[in-house]
Amino acid sequence: MGILEMKHISKAFSGVYANEDISLSVEKGEIHALLGENGAGKTTLMNILFGIYSADEGEIFWKGEKVHFSSPKAAIESGIGMVHQHFSLVQKLSVLDNIILGMDTGFKALDRKQAREKILNLAGKYGLKVNPDALINHLSVGQQQRVEILKALYRDVDLLILDEPTGVLTPSETEHFFGVLRRLKEEGYAIIIITHRMSEIMSISDRVTILRDGKKIIDLVTAETNPSELSNYMIGRQLKSGFVMENKASDEETLCLKHVSIIKARQPEFLSDICLDIKKGEILGIAGVDGNGQKELAEAIAGVRKITEGTIWFEGKDITKTTVKQRFEMGISYVSDDRHADGLVLDMTLEDNVMLRDYDRQPYSKYSFLNEKLIREKAEKAIDEYKIKTSGTSKGDTVVRLMSGGNQQKVIIAREVSDSAKLVIASQPTRGLDIGATEFVRQVLMDHRNKGGSVLLISADLEEIVALSDRIAVMFGGRIMGVLDREHINMEKIGLMMGGITEEEIKE
Amino acid sequence: MSRKQSYLAVIWIALITVAAGTLLITLANASPIEAYQMFFRGIFGNITNFCEVFVKATPLILTGLGCAVAFKTGFFNIGAEGQFYMGAVAATSVALGLTGVPGPLRILLAMAAGFICGGLWALIAAVFKARFGISEIIVTIMLNYIAINFVGIAVRTFLMDPAGSVPQSARIGSEAAFKLLMPPTRLNMGFIIAIAAVILVWVLMEKTTAGYELKVVGSNRRGAKCMGISVMKNTILSAFLSGGLAGMAGVIEILGIQKKLLEGISSDCGYTAVLVALLASNHPIGVFFSAVGLAAMQVGANSMQRQMGVPSAIVNILVGMVVLLVLGKRIFQFKSKKKA
Amino acid sequence: MLEQIFTISFLTAFLTAAVRMAVPLIYAGLGETFLERTGILNIGMEGVMLGGALFSFAGALLSGSLAVGLVCGMLGGLAVSAIHGFLCINLSQNQSVSGIALNIFMLGLTSFLYKILTAGQSYQDIETIPTMAIPVLSSIPLVGNAFFNQDILTYLVYLLVILAVFFYRKTGAGLAFTAVGEHPRAADAAGIPVYKYQWIAIAVNGVLGGMGGACLVLVQLGKFTENMISGRGYIALAAVILGRYTPLGMFGAALIFGGANALQIRLQTLGVPLPTQALAMLPYVITLIALLGSVGKSGEPEALGTPYVRGSR
Repeated sequence: MGILEMKHISKAFSGVYANEDISLSVEKGEIHALLGENGAGKTTLMNILFGIYSADEGEIFWKGEKVHFSSPKAAIESGIGMVHQHFSLVQKLSVLDNIILGMDTGFKALDRKQAREKILNLAGKYGLKVNPDALINHLSVGQQQRVEILKALYRDVDLLILDEPTGVLTPSETEHFFGVLRRLKEEGYAIIIITHRMSEIMSISDRVTILRDGKKIIDLVTAETNPSELSNYMIGRQLKSGFVMENKASDEETLCLKHVSIIKARQPEFLSDICLDIKKGEILGIAGVDGNGQKELAEAIAGVRKITEGTIWFEGKDITKTTVKQRFEMGISYVSDDRHADGLVLDMTLEDNVMLRDYDRQPYSKYSFLNEKLIREKAEKAIDEYKIKTSGTSKGDTVVRLMSGGNQQKVIIAREVSDSAKLVIASQPTRGLDIGATEFVRQVLMDHRNKGGSVLLISADLEEIVALSDRIAVMFGGRIMGVLDREHINMEKIGLMMGGITEEEIKE
Repeated sequence: MSRKQSYLAVIWIALITVAAGTLLITLANASPIEAYQMFFRGIFGNITNFCEVFVKATPLILTGLGCAVAFKTGFFNIGAEGQFYMGAVAATSVALGLTGVPGPLRILLAMAAGFICGGLWALIAAVFKARFGISEIIVTIMLNYIAINFVGIAVRTFLMDPAGSVPQSARIGSEAAFKLLMPPTRLNMGFIIAIAAVILVWVLMEKTTAGYELKVVGSNRRGAKCMGISVMKNTILSAFLSGGLAGMAGVIEILGIQKKLLEGISSDCGYTAVLVALLASNHPIGVFFSAVGLAAMQVGANSMQRQMGVPSAIVNILVGMVVLLVLGKRIFQFKSKKKA
Repeated sequence: MLEQIFTISFLTAFLTAAVRMAVPLIYAGLGETFLERTGILNIGMEGVMLGGALFSFAGALLSGSLAVGLVCGMLGGLAVSAIHGFLCINLSQNQSVSGIALNIFMLGLTSFLYKILTAGQSYQDIETIPTMAIPVLSSIPLVGNAFFNQDILTYLVYLLVILAVFFYRKTGAGLAFTAVGEHPRAADAAGIPVYKYQWIAIAVNGVLGGMGGACLVLVQLGKFTENMISGRGYIALAAVILGRYTPLGMFGAALIFGGANALQIRLQTLGVPLPTQALAMLPYVITLIALLGSVGKSGEPEALGTPYVRGSR
């Protein structure tokens, strides 16, 4: 019997199962991977274990005893530590204070000297080098992750849960991090690592449990499996082969970036010397691990973020100094990866959201007055055309917050992807959507291309990039590592470039 | 909260308020029935009193509108008090200073000056917020006290009535003051201006592209930026408008009621304005009604105090209590279970 | 005129008055610091102090005991803060609206209750807490008399400030309270009960704010008057900002504000032809300038004013 046994766990949110009858067993000295696509239920399962949610059904046995953690605190006290994807560090406090935070909340003076010794000790033992007196906001993301791990180790946990730990790390940091995990494993720690990266699972884990759509599919011993088997269990459906590209892209350039950089003092380079062009009737895919400058690139082109060096050309005109509005009028539209923050005004109605770009344009407004009738018509047209589900009879008056993610995305697509949009910047356009909505969004982008429009498709989902792109550029660390034609796609090459190796280096 | 629950909450709040009022009256050794009679007679008893309700409502409407506009744009302006006084000082200066200018024109100039000065006063906080990211809540509070003390300085120095020794300005000539609409009541042009402001603000917020922009910025600043709607411009516009409306309340108090500048004339309406806006859910028409409602309570309570010695402080107690209950209206959802 | 100002006796009297003026601000400022460090802004400090003032007066008047009065003042402040706590912590309501509503509510309630209490007889006075000089310390030239020839509540506030400094710099509890205001989700993840700590801070805010109000009644005036706090609650807010949310900084800021107030009164008695308002507005002007000067490093707790809702990002 493992140190941790989760049995028949079920949890539903407003009637929809996030976890359905999931069992999981983890041993001491084991690295156990939890694999699944976005929304497969990995995080929910771990939150149940960690006392953030409580399960509707099922039992948890920890060190042989039946337990129910009512709070993260209870879980930590019993020896379970978790490092979340979003770190829980207090920026203005020192590393040391963050590590000891919450352990002793008494009114006596803290023994920081002893704490420092213990931290340095742990750090030395497992290779988690970090200065205990540095403030968190002076640390890199990789160093912050070390603090998070130290925080758990300092509390003498036996099981460490790591939620997508490598998403924020550079390849060399990842290597180092794996070294840390191996050392922890040797010391007898049990480790659960939540991930969707096959290569990591193969190189670090002992066993892997695969979830799909809230259900457990299988658990496997890593040594006895291979990535394609894992991928089949995880995806569980035939990948739709690429879309039909009706005609070849023309040679006419829509967008051209010349030596674009965003560099700020004392920070890593956001964008570094980017040179790119997009042709008419072409989808240019940007592949890469999240957080390698994709968002900055999208915002630089849309005009939301200022670039510090270089020029941006659109249809032969230098648009470097133009505003978001001017660029939209020229035909650059933007589907952001963060719908709620960037793309929608959640507390306004569907009508208002459909009009976000056009409200001050004729015929929707005249002499600064809104033409409510035309706005209504436009919204209703969008509802019909994109089959947007609204609540009850309110139609265009539906508050966007009350709509599902897929329908919210459709509102954005309806607004941004029009005939007047010559270039659509689509950043993670299908993230978090169900299969139906995903297919729909992809089809819209493909139709746009086939009609002669250009699309810059940014996605961390390689499958999506490969299925839709005429050409694929790979980003790493704010740079373009290389550009591949559709005919010459080589997954291995893309994988290497995502890991920070340039095209030239591959040739050598 | 469902619609039905909202109505229920409103009924509960009304009941509790009446009960509390009755209790307070009893504590003050008065008969509640008589007191309520006095209360309503104070409001509806004669035309003078009835008009007094609208006189008292006027500054509340304007400052309340100012707060509502600002809140809708996500600018938490608690500085209506200070903006009111800056408007009052400006109006007094123009009305007393430009004696060469004919009356009606001088009134217009005084109104413009009051609006602009109130607006600029709020603008300071907007610049602090938009440029340096400093909380407008704190800044507007500081600006209130600076303005209040500035009035104190003004009535003792450059605006002091040279003929008197009391800290107040000289009296503004009747040619540069608002005409009374129906003497002997104090109802004046100011009330018409307030109603016009309600309509204008409603049209602005609901029917124009400018209002649409303000609402987008208020609801999602980041989204506004991504759509090319300027957060800076709209924050500044909303602050200016908000402060201008509060400043206009100061102008009306000077030209319509006091006819001279003195200290303490706002009777804290700048703070009450925050509550007016909240009770109206920041809707311009709602502001009108909640301001008139509060003014009616004041007029009624004043009559209770005059006739029966029941302290008019009851109004502040009840107004504060109503707002606290509105904030806490979720406690009236007895039956529904707590959400997970 | 300058000769008049720079005499030992003038300076001594001025400093003594400055400390006296500052003490209620320090009490309120300390309570506010404590609360704001857990992420909750209480603009209703004015109302809290009014509550403290009235109830301490009533307690002392009815019981004849200053100690009872003080306890009543603490409880009065606590009751006001508790309303704020319920609305802002349990119901996640807008902290500014709640604070302003409380101020208006308390302004009405205290003047109403005072009228009932005194039943029309005005000028009811109570005895005030006597000063007692601390030997040796009080004979230090200039500052000795100002700081160490005061009353027990003044000495108590020194002690509280020192304890608060120690609390935030050295203790685990202080660290936990800081984390709640900086990053409540992180604090929660570290097992700190965020709501409970915010409630403790509300209690401290109420008790200390109430003592600030009580101080005015029991030490300085010996009576209650309508709206007697007259903006001191807001000055305390300013002192917290100027002091960059630290107890010691707030202490210094409150002394400066007390000094401005004392100077205003001194200059008036000397007949300096400067409107008192010019000095009265000084605290607010200084605070605004300080805000500008400290852009980006004001020490404002990250989560100040944002209700913490568990489970949301």
